Formats: sequence, C-alpha cells, structure tokens
Amino acid sequence: MDEELLELQRQFEFAQQAKSSIRLSERNVVELVQKLQELQIIDFDLLHTTSGKEYITPEQLRSEIVSEINKRGRVSLIDLADTTAVDLYHVEKQSQRVVSDDSSLMLINGEIISNSYWDTVSEEINERLQECSQISLAEIAAQLQVGSELIVSVLEPRLGTLVKGRLEGGQLYTPAYVARVSAMVRGAARGIAVPMNLSALWSSLQVLLQDMDGFSGVAVESSFFQSLFNGLVRGGEILGSVRAGVHWTPSVFAVAQRECVDSFFSQNSFISYDALHKLGIPQPIHFLQSRYPDGKPLATIFAHGSLIEMLDAAVEDAIERGSWIDSLTILPASFTPQDASKILSLCPYVQKALKSSKAQLLGESYVFSDALVKNLFDNIEKELENLNVSGFSTAGLSEGSHPKKNATHGHDDSSSLADPGEYDNQNVISKSASEKGSKKKKGKATGNAKAGSAESVPESQEPTGTKSKKKMKKGKVIPAMQVSDSKSGGKRDNERMDDPGFLSEESLIQKIMSLIPDLEEQGMEDPETVLAPLANYLKPMLLNSWMERRKAAFTENAQKMKRVFDNLQRKLDEGFFNIQLYEKALDLFEDDQSTAVLLHKHLLRTAATPIVDALLVNLDIHNKLRNGVQVEESQNTESASMSLADRISLAKGIPGPLSVKAVGLVETLEGKRVESFMNAVREFAEESGLMLKKLDKKLERTLLHSYRKDLTSQISAETDPVSLLPKVVSLLYVQVHGKALQAPGRAISVAVAKLKDKLDDIAFKTLADYQSAAVTLLSLISAGTGNEEDCTSNRILSKRELLESSMPALKSLVLGSSS
Amino acid sequence: MEGWDPTTKSTLTQIPLLSVKAGPRDGGAWTQRLKEEYKALIAYTSMNKSNDNDWFRISAANPEGTRWTGKCWYVHNLLKYEFDLQFDIPVTYPATAPELELPQLDGKTQKMYRGGKICLTVHFKPLWAKNCPRFGIAHALCLGLAPWLAAEIPILVDSGMIKHKDDAASSNES
Repeated sequence: MDEELLELQRQFEFAQQAKSSIRLSERNVVELVQKLQELQIIDFDLLHTTSGKEYITPEQLRSEIVSEINKRGRVSLIDLADTTAVDLYHVEKQSQRVVSDDSSLMLINGEIISNSYWDTVSEEINERLQECSQISLAEIAAQLQVGSELIVSVLEPRLGTLVKGRLEGGQLYTPAYVARVSAMVRGAARGIAVPMNLSALWSSLQVLLQDMDGFSGVAVESSFFQSLFNGLVRGGEILGSVRAGVHWTPSVFAVAQRECVDSFFSQNSFISYDALHKLGIPQPIHFLQSRYPDGKPLATIFAHGSLIEMLDAAVEDAIERGSWIDSLTILPASFTPQDASKILSLCPYVQKALKSSKAQLLGESYVFSDALVKNLFDNIEKELENLNVSGFSTAGLSEGSHPKKNATHGHDDSSSLADPGEYDNQNVISKSASEKGSKKKKGKATGNAKAGSAESVPESQEPTGTKSKKKMKKGKVIPAMQVSDSKSGGKRDNERMDDPGFLSEESLIQKIMSLIPDLEEQGMEDPETVLAPLANYLKPMLLNSWMERRKAAFTENAQKMKRVFDNLQRKLDEGFFNIQLYEKALDLFEDDQSTAVLLHKHLLRTAATPIVDALLVNLDIHNKLRNGVQVEESQNTESASMSLADRISLAKGIPGPLSVKAVGLVETLEGKRVESFMNAVREFAEESGLMLKKLDKKLERTLLHSYRKDLTSQISAETDPVSLLPKVVSLLYVQVHGKALQAPGRAISVAVAKLKDKLDDIAFKTLADYQSAAVTLLSLISAGTGNEEDCTSNRILSKRELLESSMPALKSLVLGSSS
Repeated sequence: MEGWDPTTKSTLTQIPLLSVKAGPRDGGAWTQRLKEEYKALIAYTSMNKSNDNDWFRISAANPEGTRWTGKCWYVHNLLKYEFDLQFDIPVTYPATAPELELPQLDGKTQKMYRGGKICLTVHFKPLWAKNCPRFGIAHALCLGLAPWLAAEIPILVDSGMIKHKDDAASSNES
C-alpha cells in the first residue's frame, strides 16, 4: 500500500469530514430582511440600490448627497442617482429633504446648487466683467447652463457687492462703461436736428462702439441705448419728443416746422399738404385741423376760411350777373380742380344757388349761372333747327352727308365768330350786356348765313322758326308712303339719331365758344377744359330737342314718301304693261335671228329704259325722304334723260342689297334679251316692295284695243310719208296677229315681208311698193345731205311726192280694213 | 456537453482531469490512477463543501480500491433523504464507467436497472468515452448520480414510493 495513497485516502476522508460552509442565498437574505421588517426589528425605510443587491438607509443616502454637494457646490440629481446608485425617485425625494433642511441650498431644474457655488460664480463673473466691461446675461446663462432669469435672481442681491456693475436689459455693465455709453447717447441725441428713427441711431452708435473696442467684440443692445436715452430725456438733458418709442423729434425741429407752417399759412391763408409732407408732417390734415380750427381741409390743400369767403363773394357776383366763373382763376395757382370743387361745395352761396338751381357746377371748378346756360341752350337749339333745314337741303345722299353738314356748320361758325368780335369792345364795359348782345348777334348771324335772307331783326329766332315751319308745310303736299317701309325707315332713323355728327363735343365747344367769346378772352390756352363739361352738360338736352324735331320732320316725309311710291307704282305698271304687250310681238320674229336681236334691242331702248329711269329716280327720292331729307317737289322724272353712267351711280346710291339688284337691272338694259330684263325688273321690284302686275287676257285686249285706236288715229293724222310706214306696219300687225309690234326702221322690211302671207296680194303690193319707195327716199336723203344742188334733191322731192301720193292708198289699206 | 444543466457543467469543468489510463488489473499504474482519483474526489468534495452543496460520502471498501461504498443524500422540501451508495470499478475501467448502485431504491423507480444500478442519460456514455481516461469517479458522480438524484427523488417522494426516514422509522415502529 502506497504511503501517498494512504495519505490521499486520509486527506479525502478529512475533506469529507470537514464542515461545509453555510451560505445564504439572496432570496433567503431578502426574506430575512422582510422578516425583520415584519417583526419591527427594522423600524425605518430601507432603500435599495439600482443593482438590487444592496440595501441603503435614507440617512445614508442623505449624507452621501450632502457630501456630494459639499464636494462641488452644484450637483444634478441625475448625477447623484448615478453616484449613489439609488433610484432617481428616492434621490429626488431625499434631495428635497436635504434642500428644505438647508436654506443655503436650492433645487433648480433638477440640480442642487449651494449658495457658496453662486458666490464663486459671482466672483468669476465679476472678474470677467471688470475685464470686458460688459457681459450679457444670456452668455453667462449659457455658460453655466442655467436660465437667465435664475442668473438675474442670483446676481441681483450680489450686484454692488460681489459683482461691481449694473444690470441693464439683460446685460451687465461696469459703471464706467455705462457712463461712457450714456455720454455717447447724449452727444448723438443733441446732434440730431431732424426727426430720426432711433433704432438707426443706435445701430450707428453700435458700429461706433465696436470700432472703438473692436477686440472685445461686444455687441451693445439697442435697448441699453434706449434706456439711457429715456433717462436723458426724462432728465431734460435732451429736448424733443419720442413717438412710438422709436421716432425721435427734436424740439428744435418741431419748433422750426411749426413756425414754417405758421408763417406760410398766415401769409397765404392756405397751405398744401405736399408742403407739409416736405416739412416732415406725416398727417397734415390732422395736424392742421388741430392747429387751425377755422380752416377747411380740401383734397390737396388746407385753406383758411377767408379764402372761402373771397371765393364765395366772387361766385355770388358772377351768378348774380348771370355770368360764369372759373374758380381756379380766383384761387391760388396751387389749387387743383379737386380742391376747387371741394372749396366750391363749401361756399355757402354756391350751396344755396345749387339748391335753388340758380347755378350749375360744371367740370369741378366752373360755376355757370343758370341763366347763362339756359340762354346758351336756347341759342344752340335754335341754331340746330336752322342747321337741320339747311343740312337737309344741301346734303346729297343722306348717308354721306355728315361732312357736308359739318362744313355748313363750320361756315356758320366762322360767320358768327366774326360778328361777336365787334362786340368785344363793348363787352369790356359790361359783361352781362355783352352776353346778351352776342347772343342776339349770334341768332342773327346764323339766320343770315343759312337762309341768306335779309332779316336783321334782333330776335331772329322767330323768323327762322317760321321759315322752317313753312318748309314743313310745303313738305306735307308730298303724298304718303307705304306703312311697312315707314317702320323700317323709322328704325334706321333712330340708329342714326344716336350719333349726329354735328352734336359732337368738339363742335359744341366751338359753338359755345362762338356764343360766349369772353370764355376765350380769359386768356385760357385750352378753352376746351372749360367748354367740354359745359358741352357735355348741354349735349343731352340738345340731343333731346334735336330728336323731337327729327321725329316731326320724319312724319311729314313719310307722307311724301308714300306719294312718291304710289307715283312710281303707277308709272311702273304702265310701262310694264306696255313692254309685256310689245314683247308678245317679238315671238313672231323668233325664227329670224338678226331681226329678233334688232327688235329686242329696240324694245329695250324704247320701252324698258323709261321704266328703269322711273324706278331709279323715284327710289332715290324715296330714299332721301326716308332719311329725313327734304326733297324738292318739282322734279319731273319723265324728262330726265340719263346716260348709262348716271343710272349706275343712282343704282349704287340705293342702300342695301337693293343696290346690287339695281345695278344688275341697269346692266340688262344694255343686253340683247327682253326676257332677262323682265326677270331683273321683277326681282328688283320684289326687292323694293313694288308690285308688278301680270298681263291677263282681258287687260291685254283692252290695252291692245286702245293701242290700235291710238295707232289708227295717229295714221289718219300722219302727214309725213316716212314715219307713216312703221305705224302702218304696226297697225297691220295688230290687225293681223293681234300683237303690238315696236319695230325700228331697219326691221320694217322684214316685218313687211312677214306680212306677205297674211295680206291679199294687192294690199301687200301696195305696202311693199311703199316700203321700197320709202327706203330709197331715206337712202337718198342720207346720201344727199350736204349738197343740195345735186340732182338727188330733185329725186328726193320726186320720191316724196310719189310717197305722198301713195299715202292715202296705204292709209285706206289700214284704216279700211280696220273699220 | 449538452444535456446537463449549467451548474453541473460548470462544476464538472472545475473537477481536475485524470491522466493515467489504467484499470484495476494494471498494478502500479492503477495505484497511480487511484491517487489521481483521490485527488479529484478531494477537489470535488472541497468544492461542494465550499458551495454548501455537500451531498455524498464515499470510501474505498477494499484496499485495492475497486469497490466503493458510502451514502448520498438529497434535500427535498427541507427533508433530507439519504440512500446507500455502492459501486465497483469495472475491469475495463476507465474505458467503462462504474455502475453506480442505490440498492435501497431497487424496484422503486423505472430509471434503474435490476440491482439498483441507476440508468444514466443517453449523453453520459458518449461523453465518458470521449473523455476516457480523463474522467474518473468524481466525474461519474457529478455527471451521473447528482442529476439523477435531482430528477428522481422529488418524483419518488411525491409518489410516496420513498418516505423520510423519520416517517419510515415511525411506520416501522408501529
């Protein structure tokens, strides 16, 4: 057996015998402590650390806290919780107890700070303050990481003791620094002579300060300046007034300002707001009203009451005289029209006059007496009346008549302008008198100019009036027109009424100027400024009267128009029947082209042309009437022989779509076919509201009969052998074919040839012989003109004799068969 | 090492490992081995005692040290249940682990072979084989018996299969 083994055996034995150490688990310990507390053996609160492994008594915690505070003077609770390893809740609770027990401690924002800490901090601040001469509290607060209010509360009791300085607007200053800045402020404020924004001043001072001690780089708060400044103002070291805290007005300036305003106002008894603005008074009206209670504020000017009185007197004078006044001329030059109107409205007399309509306030600054305006209106109205008449008679086509009217009107003006000139000299003596005179003269002048009559009676209105009446009466003789047309015409008339050119502003101004020459005389460069409002005032009234007159003239014209229209219808009917009648005969010659063309042309020339002429001329007249133009009664359309160009220009003068038709109609006249003309006439008539009657059998017969009768009587009375032939031929056609033929000389032979089948041989032979004889006669005459000694004249004579001898035969041929 | 609770594992690692690979029939080498066994046991025991976790007493029943007897106990519900412990060192030791016997509990639990040999977890054998020859008796006790007791005794007590010795004594007396 090994020794060692035995030894080991023994050791093992010993090890097993050894008493095992007794260990309490944590759980057991906790239970034990709980048991102790239950048994009241531990009779105080037990805290445990954040690790949960340790118990700590509150006393121990408190002592630890106090020792921490003593160590540093300022401890945050969170740091305490860390260092003591106790829950923050208990730390806070115990800290509160510690702080409440010790008055030198304070608990702020989760920090316990002792007074000794503040003392040291204050000392530090003081050191720095002495170094920099000013520190901002915010800076300190940020450094110490506490609120600036706290800093203030802490520093205030220590100011003057530990901290040698002054606290101002969140800044700490040393007294020396305060004195220096205060001196700067005083100097700056005393140097200012005009109103100034203080903040601008402060910023400049700040720049100055920064330049002086640029290295320190301290920014001086403008509030510091402000408080120093306020102190200086209170102390009376600087004089002036502060408005809204920043606007500094030195008393020097205020006094100067007031004196300036006073002197100007007392000298001129008005002052413009602009001037006050220039003087730096921001609310001039308020300023002036409070200073001068007897003044009146106008649009741009403040006026003294005396100015109003003066104006009032002037206006009263003008109105009483029945004249007019431009208030601007009386008022000082700096018065604007708005001011004038306002000051006028303030004049007691003007108010009264306006209320009793004795005066008219026009164009802001002009006061016209009612009498003057009324006179003016009457005059212009009368002139208009004349103008109407003359305008109508001179105007050609009504549409384009404006320039002409204006021209006549201009002429009137010039003539009337010339006359008052003579009166101007008299005007100097008495204005009102001159007014009357010029008015009278004016009336006379217009009367003279228009009618050229020798009426020189001063009250010329009457003669012109009667004259126009006479004309109207004359107009009534003209027959009436169709109703439908009158309506459309009336409508168009109204449209035109809206803008009578001669009632434009310019012309009215001209007229007024001519009526009241002293308006110009006043030396105004631009008389229109006066007259424009006056003209505008008069215009509606004038328009009214003008329209009434127009209406009257229109009703008269309507009757005339109707009559023209009836006339036209009648003429048209007649011509149209004829042409229809003649047209029938053309059918006989349809197979012979050349003859047909000849006949068509002849018919167009003879029968159609009068129709067209009548149509055009009458429509033209009608048109003029419709436009209110007075037309002379004495025109006879029959006699008018017109060329193609005349017709076309007339046709073009017809208004509207009718004009195109009319031109077309005129063109068909130059054509070769009667049918196309007929169509054109029909269309045109339809368009113009005329009626075209178709030829019916009965009517045709009666027409033919009368035509035949007519022809027969003509033939029997006819002595000229040449002109007898066509008539005989025509009658023969009527007899044979029952159709009216209008044949030109050249077509006669053909027409005669056509009759060959219809007549018995003897009669035809007579006719043919006569015809050939007539032809030779005509050819001889045409060849022989010029030399009478020629034998041809003998031959003509013999031929004529021959023809004349055979005339009875021919006549009997026709008349015999007809009877 | 999985299959055991953390405390077991930590304890196991603190038991000194053995180095001599020798069985009971190896003569001198076995003696060396036996010495190492003792050292390990001493370390384990002292470790247990210092942790207030003393739970067995064993001693060699023969001078060769091939048979060991002793006691082991387990505290459950503040009652100490104590059992006899015996085991032989097999001839193939250390390749084969010793079969721990609790003869008093024979037939009382299913986790036991006939004769009172305890059934070990499936993890025991491979672990042992892997650590041959470094594991010894102390390791076997630590890894095998301690967990077994901890697992089985409460069940046995609750099911009434075993009774505290006081109760048993009183019942025997009666």
